Amino acid sequence: MIKTENLTKIFRTDEVETTALNKISFRVQPGEFIAIMGPSGCGKSTLLNILGLLDNHTAGEYYFLDMEVSKFSEKQKAKLRKENIGFVFQNFNLIDELTVFENVELPLIYLGYGSRERKRRVEMVLEQMQITHRKKHFPVQLSGGQQQRVAVARAIVAEPKLILADEPTGNLDSAHGEEVMNLIEWLHKNGTTVIIVTHSQRDAEYSQRIVRLFDGQIITENIKEHIL
Amino acid sequence: MLRYNIKIAFRNLVNRKRYALVNVLGLAIGLASFIVIALYIIDELSYDLHHSKSERIFRIVNVYDFEGVGEESSSSPFPVGPTLLMEYPHLIETSVRFFNNWSSPYFVEYGEKRFNERKLFFVDSTVFDVFDIPFIAGNPASALNNPGTVVLTESASMRYFGDEDPIGKKLEIEEHFNVIVTGVIRDPVPQSHFTYELLVSMETIKTLLNGYEPKTWIWNPCWTYIVLKEGVKAEDLNKLFDQFIVKYFYDAEKDNITLTLQSLPEIHLRSSLDYEIEPNGNITYIKILSVIAIFMLIIATVNFMNLSTAIAGKRAREIGMKKVVGATRRQLAVQFITESVIVSILGLLIALALVEFIIPYFNDFTGKNISSNYYLEPVKMSLLLAIAFTTGVLSGIYPAFYLSSFKPIAALKGELEQSRSGVKARKILVVTQFSISIILIVTTIVTFQQLQFFQNKDLGFTKENIIILPIQHTPVVQHYDAFESELLMSPEILYVTSLDYIVGVEHNTHEFRPEGFPEDQWQFYPALKVRNGFLETFDVEVVAGRGFEKESKIDPSGAVLINEAMVKFLGWKSNENAIGKRFHSFSGKENVIGVFRDFHVNSLHADITPLVLSLPQNRKSLEYYSVYMAIRHVPGQFDKALDVIHKAWEKFSPQRPFEYKIHAEELARMYREEYILSRLAAIFTFLIIFIASLGLYGLVSYLMDQRTKEIGIRMVLGASLFQIIKLLSREFSLLILIANIIAWPVSFLLMYYWLQNFEFQVQIRLIVFVMAGLMSYAIAMTITALKVMSSFRMKPSETLKHE
Repeated sequence: MIKTENLTKIFRTDEVETTALNKISFRVQPGEFIAIMGPSGCGKSTLLNILGLLDNHTAGEYYFLDMEVSKFSEKQKAKLRKENIGFVFQNFNLIDELTVFENVELPLIYLGYGSRERKRRVEMVLEQMQITHRKKHFPVQLSGGQQQRVAVARAIVAEPKLILADEPTGNLDSAHGEEVMNLIEWLHKNGTTVIIVTHSQRDAEYSQRIVRLFDGQIITENIKEHIL
Repeated sequence: MLRYNIKIAFRNLVNRKRYALVNVLGLAIGLASFIVIALYIIDELSYDLHHSKSERIFRIVNVYDFEGVGEESSSSPFPVGPTLLMEYPHLIETSVRFFNNWSSPYFVEYGEKRFNERKLFFVDSTVFDVFDIPFIAGNPASALNNPGTVVLTESASMRYFGDEDPIGKKLEIEEHFNVIVTGVIRDPVPQSHFTYELLVSMETIKTLLNGYEPKTWIWNPCWTYIVLKEGVKAEDLNKLFDQFIVKYFYDAEKDNITLTLQSLPEIHLRSSLDYEIEPNGNITYIKILSVIAIFMLIIATVNFMNLSTAIAGKRAREIGMKKVVGATRRQLAVQFITESVIVSILGLLIALALVEFIIPYFNDFTGKNISSNYYLEPVKMSLLLAIAFTTGVLSGIYPAFYLSSFKPIAALKGELEQSRSGVKARKILVVTQFSISIILIVTTIVTFQQLQFFQNKDLGFTKENIIILPIQHTPVVQHYDAFESELLMSPEILYVTSLDYIVGVEHNTHEFRPEGFPEDQWQFYPALKVRNGFLETFDVEVVAGRGFEKESKIDPSGAVLINEAMVKFLGWKSNENAIGKRFHSFSGKENVIGVFRDFHVNSLHADITPLVLSLPQNRKSLEYYSVYMAIRHVPGQFDKALDVIHKAWEKFSPQRPFEYKIHAEELARMYREEYILSRLAAIFTFLIIFIASLGLYGLVSYLMDQRTKEIGIRMVLGASLFQIIKLLSREFSLLILIANIIAWPVSFLLMYYWLQNFEFQVQIRLIVFVMAGLMSYAIAMTITALKVMSSFRMKPSETLKHE
């Protein structure tokens, strides 16, 4: 599903060049659940953003669904992204002006679904996330855990092939964190490919494979025994 | 998607109330001002267009030019109209003359009801063929065919007859002759270059003027309008005028007179000739107002752009997230444009309400009759909607373009890195706003200065403490000497004179033959016919020779006074040298007995011209030329003086309503257009500055948002309020400087152009520009200070947390 060859990202300011990712090569098979770990500033989030087509890499190759996307235009990437990838962020990134229902509905609007179909799908994922009773509320009226459940609902409503989650439990207490991780695990079990970036060993335990980054390079890739 | 966008737009407005208020209000004020000015301009441009033949109607203009001296007359001699029609029947469909003896009021009675009528005209019966004048009663084809007939407007009819049927009733004019009402017509449309109330048949003139219609080709008191036949161009007739003049005008005039056609719709805004029936508007002012109106729209739009981009930071997450889930740039741009169109339509609604509220005051102030029910007119309304929509789209395009260009990840993190072009664009917007504000400040100051200049300029005669009485045709004029003595007995009255035109407003021209010109070469010079006491009443200084003397046996038929400009014009060596020179008129053998200092016999729109003062010579011409009496009273004794005059009037002319004018007010009336313009400029400048300030407030807020953390750190380290203001102001001090550099030459040119309207102008001084520049800087500083102070109350820890 994903293949990178020598993926490199360099941030340039006027005087300084920072290599955020240094020749990263790795693969993700359909249906995998991968955790990316590493200390702050090691390039985890940068990698995730590039994989999610939110950012451009500087050098190397990136194949998404067997397509080399390096030369894709913003428009092509946006299309690829909205049809295939769902995002979950540490700070939820819900839009304050929209209700729970509308936030979840957003990706479907940009995918051009009709309103009846949108309603059906949104109701369905809200049900799955057990947050239907809050659908008319605005984000500020929800707890952190509820907000992240809404964010997850939004990520999956378009039934993407890939879920990218950047520190999904970072802003949550442990109980709510576990709740969200269980949801993500459930998604994975239903066949979705999942990549999460996390600091938490506990969260990483949910995955099948942990990729450790340090200074922009992969230092270890261990496949967990219990999966084997 | 549209419904969704609209929903989001409303929620955004509700959630950011202050922003929305500032934005909508700025736009509403801008649009309301635009609408009001536009209605004013539309009104001014629509004059005389309501006549179905308006494109074919022309007024005959007579230009008399004696080497630069003479007149450009809006009126013609009596025979011109009928003779033209007779001579060129293949070109001219019909013609009409309006005559009122140059606007002296007529005394009209019906039983106990007595009024001085200023809007009475003698007209040809063809008037209804030329102009569209709807009849309520009577027959337009025959109403004015006979002598002694009159057609009244509804208002005039109501004034005399109330609910009675006026047809067949008799009105008495000037206690001299009767006219029978043969028709009632609608009141004239206010958008006419002149209005009327009583139209008396031209046949009646014979009754008034000793039984015949004047045949002279010199006296030119008739406003003459002709209708060209379909397909005939003004040019076709214009080119025949030379031969017409040769054929009909007197030899003495032929070389000096030109006839031209003036298109009816052009009169109101483009004509400022001698003897206009009513003062006209001025196309220059319409242009200036149009510029102001467009400035208004630009400022409001620019403001909108500034404010929308200023709050971009607060919407970063929304934009970022939408991009993440796949919104394209176009979709986002459409969303923002939808929002700004909604705001501008809201702005329009508020603007319409504002206009509704303002219009009555505006009408009161400008003397207009603009109706605010323009929203019932589909053309105007759809135009307004189109403007609001365009403003919305234009205001939305830049923010849409700018906001939708955010990189999603950066936007989500709140790192709104400013693209260089984005910053530059915002700076351009601020510079635009400031340039316009400065231009308008300069405009306002200069128009005020010019008006002040008019009011304070030494006119060469005194205008204070002078009361003017219209006396023509009244018993007062028949008993002038007795009336004069009666007034002079009172200690409040200083001097009395009579004259044919109000000094400083207008004058006539008369024919003279000064020394050095052959017997048959009459020259037409500006002249006033006055009585003894003129120089004293108006405090006009005699610089050589003597003034008129009451006791003199020579004076009435043997003496004229001329001004210094006339001495120069005739090339005479000196003022003293002029004394005793021959200066014959048609009726006398006058010589120059004195030279007086130049004074402004016309408005300050025109230059000082050579001028002759002469005395009417016999009883008849004394009565004829005594149109007004000018009475100078002791300063501060206006009430007592007026009381004395009123009592004398009651004694000599008990039948006639007592009416008077105050000389200074009559003079000020000539600058009414300038007065209105200067006040309008002031009001709209204030509004524009207000809107621009809102925009600046938005910009400062934005700059501060950008630098909240920096400001926090500085505050922790002990920066004072003043230092913070200085820090922020450095950002736009340069912008204001650039705005000044742009605005100064533009406003100079604008004002230079405007001042070309006047022969006598204020100088455009550098200090005005400096003042405008400083004002703009002060406004910017105040706004920055206000904003900084409100944020300064925040604890540094809170500002630091901002990230």
